[in-house]
Amino acid sequence: MPKGNRTLRVGVASVLSLSLAAAVAAPVGADGHIPSWEEVLAEAEGQTVNMHMWSGADNINTYMDGWVTDAAAELGITFNRVPGDAPDIVNKVLGEKQAGKDDGGSVDMIWINGENFRTAKQADLLLCDWAESLPNRQYIQETAGINTDFGTPVDGCESPWGGAQFVFVYDEAKVPEPPSSMTELLEWIEANPGQFTYSAPPDFTGSVFVRHVLYHANGGYEDLLGPFDQERFDAAAEKTWEILNGIEPSLWRGGETYPQTKEELDNLYSNGEISMTMTYGPTEVGPLVDNGVYPETTKMFVFDHGTIGNTHFVTIPYNANSQAGALAVANILISPEAQLVRAQPDSWSADPIIDPALTEFEAEFAEVPLHPSVLSAAERSVNANPELVADYVTETEKGWTENVLQR
Amino acid sequence: MTATTTGRRRRRRLPDWTRPWLLLSPALFVVLVLFTGGLVLGFMQSLNYMPIIGKNDFNFDAYVEIFNDRVFWMSLRLSLYIAFVSTAISIVLAVACALLIHHTARGRRVTTFIFQFNLPIPHIVGAVAMLFLLAQGGLLSRISFALGLTDSPGDFYPMTNDRGAIGIIAEYVWKETVFIGVVVLAALARGVGDYEDLARTLGASRWRRFWHVILPLITPAIVSTSVIVFAFGFGAFEVPFLLGQPFPAALPVLAYRNFADVDLNARSEAMAIAMVIAVITAVAVFVYTWLSRRYVRSES
Repeated sequence: MPKGNRTLRVGVASVLSLSLAAAVAAPVGADGHIPSWEEVLAEAEGQTVNMHMWSGADNINTYMDGWVTDAAAELGITFNRVPGDAPDIVNKVLGEKQAGKDDGGSVDMIWINGENFRTAKQADLLLCDWAESLPNRQYIQETAGINTDFGTPVDGCESPWGGAQFVFVYDEAKVPEPPSSMTELLEWIEANPGQFTYSAPPDFTGSVFVRHVLYHANGGYEDLLGPFDQERFDAAAEKTWEILNGIEPSLWRGGETYPQTKEELDNLYSNGEISMTMTYGPTEVGPLVDNGVYPETTKMFVFDHGTIGNTHFVTIPYNANSQAGALAVANILISPEAQLVRAQPDSWSADPIIDPALTEFEAEFAEVPLHPSVLSAAERSVNANPELVADYVTETEKGWTENVLQR
Repeated sequence: MTATTTGRRRRRRLPDWTRPWLLLSPALFVVLVLFTGGLVLGFMQSLNYMPIIGKNDFNFDAYVEIFNDRVFWMSLRLSLYIAFVSTAISIVLAVACALLIHHTARGRRVTTFIFQFNLPIPHIVGAVAMLFLLAQGGLLSRISFALGLTDSPGDFYPMTNDRGAIGIIAEYVWKETVFIGVVVLAALARGVGDYEDLARTLGASRWRRFWHVILPLITPAIVSTSVIVFAFGFGAFEVPFLLGQPFPAALPVLAYRNFADVDLNARSEAMAIAMVIAVITAVAVFVYTWLSRRYVRSES
């Protein structure tokens, strides 16, 4: 036996002293100079902007990789879409902050809202006080939905990008008379076992469905507005779990399991395994029908007592490598041209967040055709229900997991 | 020994024992910094030490929390079940396939090639393939519908996101049978044939030859690969994430969910679960080392 043919053992006990806060760089704009927009654009030229965003819809990806990328290229910016879920992306930035990477971060922009925005803002992960200074901000009407995000003040830390209402999507061939209220929906579920399910919260879409049940169980959302109230929540939540456990045997697979993502839920619908699905992006349904993913008999409905709507935003991490480039892209996203292209049915088919009347394209916005499977923005917004403060969202998700899923 | 090497040896100052360490240092650096570093940081977070959210004290709260949670124990049981069952089925199939291929006289090269075909395919691709194949809206369900065996997708026996974790086990067996099989084939190729012929001339039956000649010779290959397969099946995330139920979820999926929780306090629990996974995997490796030493000793 040759010498040295011993097994090498790596001692786990070997002490590693990693100084986490070693690298601390100077914050942007520390010299107190507020750059002009021209200076921002000059700095942005030649930068690469990595926008991390949910990428579960082909038409949205095509819009970002096509029109938005081209518009950014005109300013000398390389735009790069990076797929990911908002909680993971926030975690990534948090990890960078923990590792002391205070500049040169890998994430330049995030598509975000709600509890993820709150978490990121709480941990000081975001660049703030910039959103209101974007030149194209002039096209956006200042409303409450733009200045608070699920109860968290926006403070210029994120720029509104779009608005959406939650809708139910159904196959008219299987459901000739869609329910018009939560009561009717619950009756329909029990009368049609196996034809309905929802994605397991904390999935975004499943979570908003459960909040509709919460509003219903509470007899309306009005007294849940304002700061989080544990007693009110507990009373409403208990009834909510009762309702959801009650319909469980009538759900897909007898409620033994739930789809874990909206994509899985949509797949069940497109496979014809269930007769209804749901979405927080109603306009995405048109392209899905045209592409043959959904049956042509696909329609959508909202309750007579209204549906939950919200605003989604883009934000920039505090340590983004290409902050100027990210600001320029954020400005592109709310330009009248970008919003008009995005509104077309063969593109993203999304409602504009800007007010068409403030732009020179009012007539063009009015001409955007409506897909026969899609309800108009006006129909969707009747009796619009608000989102509650983010604590209600997280408590509902946690409570659902403990009281419905793990029961 | 030539003059030049002797001369080189004279010039060398470092003692002999440093040489392997120096050669290994790049690899050791990666292992120590990336792996051990990650382990140490994870362990610190599992002890509730996270200065970034103002937690500066070390305590065992996260461990107390998970050990008192039935959800953790259900996940642990599920992960052990998946790892044991998929490893056991893979071993049996791998040995059977390896023996069949070994005894194929004609077309052995082609058969071996086909057998090994899925080795470079990543698990995540296998998992998606299982979804297309086994789900209630998948290929098998569609075939059974076309044949009139089932009336709707819901009639087809659920094999993905199911209670018995059939889809997950199927994916692991599909992939790991080949892994174990290839190593067993290599062991068989190392002169097992001679011993087998010898046993045959001495009048041993086929069954006796298997139990007393072949099996002892391929056992080291089976043990070493199956420990790897077990540890992988226990600790891997992507397959149970795609093919599993939301509840109970496999241990790595549970850890990930806590890690991705919007509540940053749940991170300590995620890290505590990850530490449990690391400890169990380490135990499996130690058991293997102990077994193989014992085995090697008894052989010599």
